Amino acid sequence: MINMSRRGFLAASATAAASALVAACAGSSGDGGSASGDASKLTFWSNHPGKSVEVERELISRFEAANPGLSVQLVDAGKNYEEAAQKFNAALSGGAVPDIMILSDVWWFNFALIGAIAPLDDLFGRANVNTADYVDSLVGDYKWNGQTWALPYARSTPLFYYNKDVWRRAGLPDRGPATWDEFDDWGPRIQTVVGGDKRAHGWGNATDYLAWTFQGPTWTFGGAYSDDWTLEFTEPRTVAAAQYLSDSINSKRYAKISNDIAGDFSAGIIASTIASTGDLSGITDNAGFEFGTAFLPAPQGVSGCPTGGAGLAVPAKLSDERKVNALKFIEFITNTENTAYFAQNVGYMPVRKSAQDDPSMVAFLEKNPNFATAIEQLPRTQPQNYARVFVPGGDKIIGTGYERIGLQNADVASTLADTQRQIAQIYEAQIKPKLPA
Amino acid sequence: MLTSRGGATGPNPVRGDRSTMSPATRRRLADACGYAAMALVLIVIALPLVWILLASLKDRSEIYVQPAVWWPSTWRPENYVEATTSVPFWTYLRNSVIVTGILGVAKFVLGVLSAYGLVFLRFPGKNIVFVVIIAALMVPNQITVITNYALVAQLGLRNTFIGIILPLAGVAFGTFLMRNHFLSIPPEIIEAARMDGAGHFRLLTRVVLPLSIPTMVAFATITLVNEWNEYLWPFLMADDSTVATLPVGLTLLQNSDGLTNWGPVMAATVLAMLPMLILFLALQRHMIKGLTSGAVKG
Repeated sequence: MINMSRRGFLAASATAAASALVAACAGSSGDGGSASGDASKLTFWSNHPGKSVEVERELISRFEAANPGLSVQLVDAGKNYEEAAQKFNAALSGGAVPDIMILSDVWWFNFALIGAIAPLDDLFGRANVNTADYVDSLVGDYKWNGQTWALPYARSTPLFYYNKDVWRRAGLPDRGPATWDEFDDWGPRIQTVVGGDKRAHGWGNATDYLAWTFQGPTWTFGGAYSDDWTLEFTEPRTVAAAQYLSDSINSKRYAKISNDIAGDFSAGIIASTIASTGDLSGITDNAGFEFGTAFLPAPQGVSGCPTGGAGLAVPAKLSDERKVNALKFIEFITNTENTAYFAQNVGYMPVRKSAQDDPSMVAFLEKNPNFATAIEQLPRTQPQNYARVFVPGGDKIIGTGYERIGLQNADVASTLADTQRQIAQIYEAQIKPKLPA
Repeated sequence: MLTSRGGATGPNPVRGDRSTMSPATRRRLADACGYAAMALVLIVIALPLVWILLASLKDRSEIYVQPAVWWPSTWRPENYVEATTSVPFWTYLRNSVIVTGILGVAKFVLGVLSAYGLVFLRFPGKNIVFVVIIAALMVPNQITVITNYALVAQLGLRNTFIGIILPLAGVAFGTFLMRNHFLSIPPEIIEAARMDGAGHFRLLTRVVLPLSIPTMVAFATITLVNEWNEYLWPFLMADDSTVATLPVGLTLLQNSDGLTNWGPVMAATVLAMLPMLILFLALQRHMIKGLTSGAVKG
């Protein structure tokens, strides 16, 4: 029989613990990016928007073929933009940052403000980047404090999707509504046709980016979330827009808050919605009916549509050589041919002006008129309000406020006042102290 | 008060009813209530699982539909093929088995040994050690993420199994659970073993552990299930499929901006649940056996 002293027992315990952990060494060693090291080996962190992982691998293959001295490792940065930002945030604490980072419309500014991503203007010449060919409104989204902080990549706008079969049965013209007032007239007529638990219109919930999609309608009412850093949630016109949302759901009952607008629209549960261009390919594949896309309703001369999606940024702590190589990669995968390829295979918009004349893109748009709507709407878009895109967590706070108005029939004025209070607190504590004087 | 006093002197209708009920009827009624409560709990727990299972065999058109369709009109087992081929499912499964297996063993060994030390060894500062362990239990994992990340990254262990495993190998919960159980073992048994000349190793393996099977099985089950489902830390550590675990890898089946095909997602969920379900059913028998076996003869 084994008989062991206390000291022997403790030694055995320590050995057992150590061996259990040493056994954990099985697995590949590697680093998902680094501030130093071989500048020819780049890492690209992406959440593969629109299930684009295979497309991104193809773009990397093309880049490596065109640049034999450079290689790129694709890293799974999460299932959505929020997770990608979370992973990047953690990486900033530990030194292992990526070379190319995907950042959505609501995240890039936070990282620019704390100096985590680099301004790119001084590097454009060395990386042969011609910013003039990027769509002005898309590259303009990444300008702050006189600098460009990212370049557009997986960019989208909201579109008005409508079920043509339902429109026909309701006796409506084959187009989207010209204004939200017109849609307010149409809503009850469409509701009569769809009936039951179905609805004429579906607004997204907070996680389905309601704060993004309701920005356009708010502008058409003359309201806004903010004017630069001046918050405008309690302005009468912003309140009027939110009241429209509430009435469409709670009193006129032709609309609802949907947990999955693209899915519900494809299934015929809602007859219309505002959803991203990124949803277009999925809806095209799955809708069992003919549908159309239209510009977001807006009176003539008023912009009723924001831009959205994600761009590519370069971390500030990289060496200049790495930054230039990273920028070469960004330039390459967003060039005319590749942005056209990405747009056609994933559903985002081409980010180069020249891509619209690319033969493959011309042929694609002829075959897919719904996709052409997004490109034609681009000149009518405008950058988003700071309150949503520049305030950490702003999107969620605003979306949750509108969700409460829709789902709980919460009082519009007091809910928006509460939203404004929360956004103001974050601005005062986290942003104002860091803004340049 | 007059009315209440008057009411108190009158017959108690409830008590009157109960006195007419025979003990057997009362027992049957209690059993019926118990079974009804169990059935209700079972429905609450089982319905989502049944939905997941059925959805994993549905066509997309029958998932996105109102009113909801429970029973598929056409079965679609292809969802399972898509779930296992459109992402490197078997690689993720292997990684989960490695991470969960090593973490399970490490946590179990360390938890049992440290609990034994806290109960059966005398050393200065024993209570302080226990207080520190309790304090560690109070700290949510998320709070330590950034410091752990910085440390692991500086050690060059990102995107490795050891980088995933090391920070998760803390055993505060296991130590607490096993210590409390060891304290409940009758001191006479321990004394008898010591008088028979048992050292620490024999005391642990021949006396303490056999008396602790139900608690150990519970500890092992909780540990394995928790590690199998761990998401945040493996997500932050893993860069690709070489070390990514199932919960992390399967998010690639979802579409971050567009329509998710929930059939394959549900199929993958079923496949990811199965190992833990089988493990639980296997360990459950030992848990019951341990609970029913007596330590001291009457």
